[in-house]
Parts: sequence; C-alpha cells; structure tokens
Amino acid sequence: MEPYELRLSEAAERIRSRELSPVELTDSVLGRIEALDERVGAFAAVMGDRAVGAARAAEQEIAGGRYRGPLHGVCIAVKDLLDTAGVPTTSSSRTRADNVPAANAAVVDHLEAAGAVIVGKTHTHEFAYGVITPTTRNPWDLDRIPGGSSGGSGAAVAARMCQGAIGTDTGGSVRIPAAVCGTVGLKPTYGRVSRRGTASLSWSLDHIGPLTGSVRDAALMMDVIAGYDRADPATRDVPVPRHGEGLSAGVENLVLGVPRNYFFDRIDPEVEAAVRAAIGRLEDLGAELREVDLPHPELYMPAEFGILVPEASAYHQETLRKLGDLYTEDVRMFLEAGELMLATDYIRAQRVRTLIQQGWRDMFAGIDAVLAPTLPAVAARAGELAFTWPDGVEEPVINCYVRTSAPGNLTGLPALSVPCGFNSEGLPIGLQIIGRPFAEPTVLRIGAAYETATDWSDRHP
Amino acid sequence: MAGPRPGCSGPTLDELARMARLDLTPERKAVAGPAVDLVYGLVDQLDSVDLGDLAPATAFDARWE
Repeated sequence: MEPYELRLSEAAERIRSRELSPVELTDSVLGRIEALDERVGAFAAVMGDRAVGAARAAEQEIAGGRYRGPLHGVCIAVKDLLDTAGVPTTSSSRTRADNVPAANAAVVDHLEAAGAVIVGKTHTHEFAYGVITPTTRNPWDLDRIPGGSSGGSGAAVAARMCQGAIGTDTGGSVRIPAAVCGTVGLKPTYGRVSRRGTASLSWSLDHIGPLTGSVRDAALMMDVIAGYDRADPATRDVPVPRHGEGLSAGVENLVLGVPRNYFFDRIDPEVEAAVRAAIGRLEDLGAELREVDLPHPELYMPAEFGILVPEASAYHQETLRKLGDLYTEDVRMFLEAGELMLATDYIRAQRVRTLIQQGWRDMFAGIDAVLAPTLPAVAARAGELAFTWPDGVEEPVINCYVRTSAPGNLTGLPALSVPCGFNSEGLPIGLQIIGRPFAEPTVLRIGAAYETATDWSDRHP
Repeated sequence: MAGPRPGCSGPTLDELARMARLDLTPERKAVAGPAVDLVYGLVDQLDSVDLGDLAPATAFDARWE
C-alpha cells in the first residue's frame, strides 16, 4: 500500500507511532496529484514546496516528542474560497486571478496550528455560485461532474490526492460533491465553524465543513476546525465536543425520522432503493424508525434563493460594476438579477426561514435525526444542464441537487452525507443524516454505525 | 399581496437597473431580465404565507468581544 492510499485516521496513527514520516506521506500525496490531476483538475494550486516544508517541520517536531494530534503531518486540501497567506486565492474566478491574501482564513489557521500539511487549493464553482465545478471531473467517471461548489475537494478526496479537504456549503456544496464523488461530507451546524477569511456566497447560509474518506476522519477534522470566533458574527460560543468519542456507540436507543414527503417525491429509482436499503440497515442495527412529515416543504427553494441571490449580489456589488466581464456567464447573470430584487422580498424570505426553523424544531420532538437521500440523482454528465424524470419533466441540475440540500442550510442543522451504494453504472449514492442543532456527534455516530456495517467507503475509483 | 408581479423587461427592467445604478447593455438586459423573472417566480411563492409578527432569521450581537 502506498502512503497516499491511507485514510486520515490511518495515516495519523502511523505518524503518531513513527511508522510513517510526514515527509514520506507528503511526497506520496504530491506524486499522486502529479500523476492524476491533469485529468481530474481538482486543484487550482498545488503548494508543493510549502507542503514539503511543513512536512519536514512536522517530522522534526514529532521526532522531538512534540506530537500535536491526529492532523499533525497529514495532507489536507483547502477549497480556493478560503484565504491562505502568501498563496493565490482565486475563488476560481478571473476577478481574483491576482489575489494573494496576507492572512489565513480562520480554518486554515486552525489546520496549521494542528500541524496539518496543506497540499493545495481546490477548485470551486466560481465563488461557490453553482453545483457543477466546470474545471473539475468526477474520478469515478471523467465524463461526469464532481458536483459543487466544492467539486475540487470532493474529487481530490475521492481520488486520494489528500487525506481530507475543506469545503463550503450554502445550498449543499459540501454534501453534493461528497455524494456524487463517494466521500463523507459534513455540513456542520450554522455557527459551528468560523468563516473568517472565506469568500462569502450568502452570509445567512454559508457553512464550512470537511470532506473525507471516512466518518472518523470527518470527526478528527471537526475537532480542529470547530469553535467560536468573534470575527464571524454567526459563530456561537457552544463548547466543542470530542467529535470522535461516541463513534462506536451504535444506533440502539436512537429514534430516526424517515420523511413521508419531499425528499422522496421525485428521485431516481436506483437512488431511492439504495437510500431505503440504508435506512433499513440502520433499523437492523437497532435504531427505531419513525415516519415524519417535513413542515412547509413548498417554501424551501423559494426561501433558499430569496436569501441567497440578493446576498450574493450585495457581496459582489462593487466588483460586478468594475470587472463584470470577467465573471462566467451563469454567475454574472444571477449577480445582476439579485441587484434588481426588492429588500422587502429578501426580508420576507428571512422571515419564512424563521417559520421553517420553528417547524423543524417541532418535527424533531422525540427524534434524534432525520434520514434522507443526500441528492435525488447521481453525478450528471459534463455539459448536462437538466435531468429528465420518467414523467417527462425536465429539472435543472442545480435545482435537483439543491432541493434536498437546502433544508440543511435554511435550518442550519448539521447534515452528514455518507456513501450508501452505487447505481448500475457504478456511480456513488449518498445517505443524508440531519441532526439537532450542534449535535454533530450524533450524526457522526449514526454515520459511523452505518459505515462500519457496510463496505461502501472502502471502494475507490 | 395584490396580484401578480409584472415581468421584468422593457421599461420595467430599465427602471430597476437605473435605480440599482447598474449599467446593463442590451445584451445584458436580455440575459438578466429572464433571470430576475426566474428568481421572482420562486420568491412570489412566499406571498401567501401568513407570517404574522414573525421576525426575520437575522440577529445582531451587541457585545464587543
């Protein structure tokens, strides 16, 4: 086995026990990137020299008895939306082609403080405003998209070009690439992870989270990146748990909600079969299932876009006027549209968000988490603009992917995607586990129980 | 809400862009107008929701640290 093939937790254990050097691991990972990324296109920038320097420093520290923890010396990729001091941070946009930040994003600071080796910046759909990531392809089928907007992070983890990656999620952008690339992806609770130094798509809906090869790996990354930060007014001063502590506790005595409406309303039959089989598996493992009715489902997409579109336009207001021609066409179109919306319509969407939150709080009475498909479909083909459903209805890819993701963003609840099978073409399918506020340990526990009972996460493209 | 919203084209689009102080060429108007209609088509589905005194899901923290 080559070092790059190790999962984060496996590499961490070997580094801790000094069976594996961070330099050896980093060299192996950089070699993997060199060999594959020309075809996958996951990385906007590879930070080879800096990564080797960090790996050497980690090696010396560990040899000197100063082991910092499980991320010390392991290779992490960071979405190009997050600032990295002295390294180009472009948000995959020509408008920021020359942007070299002076300081790190909060998450990057946390990762470096934990001793992680940052190997590169991963591509995003421009400014995270889309679900395609056109620069990047899906490692399971290079004719298909990796999802987005954190498509580079999903592809990099799936192709084992890093042990873990950071993504952002405003309408599903961690969970979408996780599902279609066959990785684990966690959108934490709104306010759990600081967004300081991260380009915003929508301040009200933006979240940052990890994409990894296993649930345990996601827990290890959460231990490092979670926490209160006054510089991000959304963060909350809620104690950070040890996310990995309860991973082996199983699902006995947990009550899991299974939606009767919305999530299964229009879904690929193979995806539905895989997700329902996963739900059945969790019941076999001891969970009690309870059917639930999602409140106000007709309001999710209107509220999501009613908030996101004008907030994105506010963020880009000045740049749109100065450098409008440099945006890609799909992003520019919606930035212009958001400029022309009324403030009262935006505030109405924010009030509806409160209504949705109250409805979900009531629905969660007596249950620990909700189980659902992460997405209604598998990875679209590159260039495919819409899915055609059996009844002849065409649905744009973005609508299809966002409609099962948006509830997590609007409610701010923690939502985990774990691999739960493959379709007949060998494309990954994701199970979504949505928990109570700040109950990341519970959704990780459920995900770990399912992952341990199956072998989906052991498969690689 | 009182009746359907007018489509965003012609003088309506011109006036909205003028109020936003956003220069839109005829080519940009041809793209932006339908996009505005698309977004409003979604947002208008919120018209019939009875919100009473419900506050928006926004907050401000007055603490300095």
